[in-house]
Amino acid sequence: MTDPDSEVPENGAPADRDLPADDLPADDLLADRELPADRAFVCDDCGRRWYYDRRRCPDCGRSSADASTVRLETGAVMATTTVETTPPDVRAPNHLALARFDEVQLIAQAADGDLAPGDTVRFDGSHRLRDGRERTDPRLVAVDDS
Amino acid sequence: MTTEVRVGGVGMTPFESDSGRSLTNLAATAAERALDDAAVDLNDVDALHFGNALAEALDESAGLANALAAALGLDGASADRIENTSATGASAFHRGVDRIERGEADAALVVGAEKMSAGDTRSVTEAISRLVHRREYAQGITLPSFGGLAAGAYLDRHDAPREALAAVAAKNHANAVDNPVAQFRKSIDVEDALDSPVVAAPLRLYDCCPMSDGAAAVVLTRAGDADADAATADTGHPPAPRVAGVASATGTHAVAERPDPLSIDSVRTAGERVFDRAGIRPDDVDVACIHDAFTVLELIELEELGFYDAGTAWEATLDGDTALDGDLPVNPGGGLKARGHPLGATGLSQIVELVWQLRGDLPAGRRVDGAETAFAINVAGFGNNSVCTVLRA
Repeated sequence: MTDPDSEVPENGAPADRDLPADDLPADDLLADRELPADRAFVCDDCGRRWYYDRRRCPDCGRSSADASTVRLETGAVMATTTVETTPPDVRAPNHLALARFDEVQLIAQAADGDLAPGDTVRFDGSHRLRDGRERTDPRLVAVDDS
Repeated sequence: MTTEVRVGGVGMTPFESDSGRSLTNLAATAAERALDDAAVDLNDVDALHFGNALAEALDESAGLANALAAALGLDGASADRIENTSATGASAFHRGVDRIERGEADAALVVGAEKMSAGDTRSVTEAISRLVHRREYAQGITLPSFGGLAAGAYLDRHDAPREALAAVAAKNHANAVDNPVAQFRKSIDVEDALDSPVVAAPLRLYDCCPMSDGAAAVVLTRAGDADADAATADTGHPPAPRVAGVASATGTHAVAERPDPLSIDSVRTAGERVFDRAGIRPDDVDVACIHDAFTVLELIELEELGFYDAGTAWEATLDGDTALDGDLPVNPGGGLKARGHPLGATGLSQIVELVWQLRGDLPAGRRVDGAETAFAINVAGFGNNSVCTVLRA
């Protein structure tokens, strides 16, 4: 709490200096930005893509607060596992795959346990990945290469 | 001239699935044992660093360092709490070493403790699953999930048999049989590990460390300090081992972003730093404590640290090179796998084990004969932060 009569508020900032709205760090918006499982961030300056949110583009350093996003098309499976012991709100067994979509690598739920390294995959469907989550996301499925 | 830090004394409680004791009680017991071992008077301790990872997540308590100081009767010292998930213990040790090297303390008491039985399995699993990146969390990913993915990739790439992972578990269980502070003093063979229930394929139950209660502590002193030297002489031990180097490094938080799923940058970087600071090479190490939260991690870390070339640690394990009587004894006290893994205490329990080894305290069958240089690595999460230590007799 700040005492309005105090010259220096408890947070240490001078009472007579109000931060103009334009100075507020827009990057803080990033903390609440949650993308669907099949989307990655893309830097509007250099085009670099990344999946796991970060405050700046790993290549050029541009703020990612307003970065565009891109839907991931097809990727290649690098490794798989099926987890039998899962957290309380996660399906058991939980089929997972580490997959590479061009420069983006991610670990995501697979629709079933049939994927193997080298398989081509895409995101598909609409599933609640954890009980209690309101949103739904797609899972990885094999692409029929034939 | 660089200040030389010595481990004047060590102590720990047994690691157990349920100690039936409070977190503060565990910590204070380990602390008193370390002080006794060092023959250092509590009044001479001027720094207390308490490592704990999960107290708040398991609804235990807060203000841990102050509660421990009060329980011990330690007044006037500087005290703080350290948290670095699974590497909490080693980070607390790092802090204590730093304080003495900078001349800010003459005697530092470093304690790590965890009471994972404070929560049921579901709540502990949930607390640990929060250690991952939030986008990984959304997928239901846990630390064993990473272990399963890495194990599958390791076996595929190096054409290694599944028995190689089981051999790590069997070795570490064998080392714990005669360790009175180990949680699992039960010998298993490769077949037992191969037949245990699947946790995250191809990892099975015996490939994974347990949840544990326990505490470990060390007393750090400054070499050349007259009081500390006199105390060391009083203990009747050989000279207190010297801290030749401590180093840490962060690495990729989201595991999937690692260009190579078998590469853990934090492990490699922290290792390079500590070998550089200690002025040694991996070949100089006589005994090592490696963070084997999952059997595959022991193999990957041994390779990342330069003890073995990539893709060869599994063969060395099957050949017995990492056994107690091998060329490089690894986890002689049982490791996380069999000694146990109370998160906040694990890194310090590695130091305790290595001090016992360097002082020659242990009986035949537990002892690495002639060990003079010892190495430890304590890893946070699945490698987003690592802390390495080198001790010398």
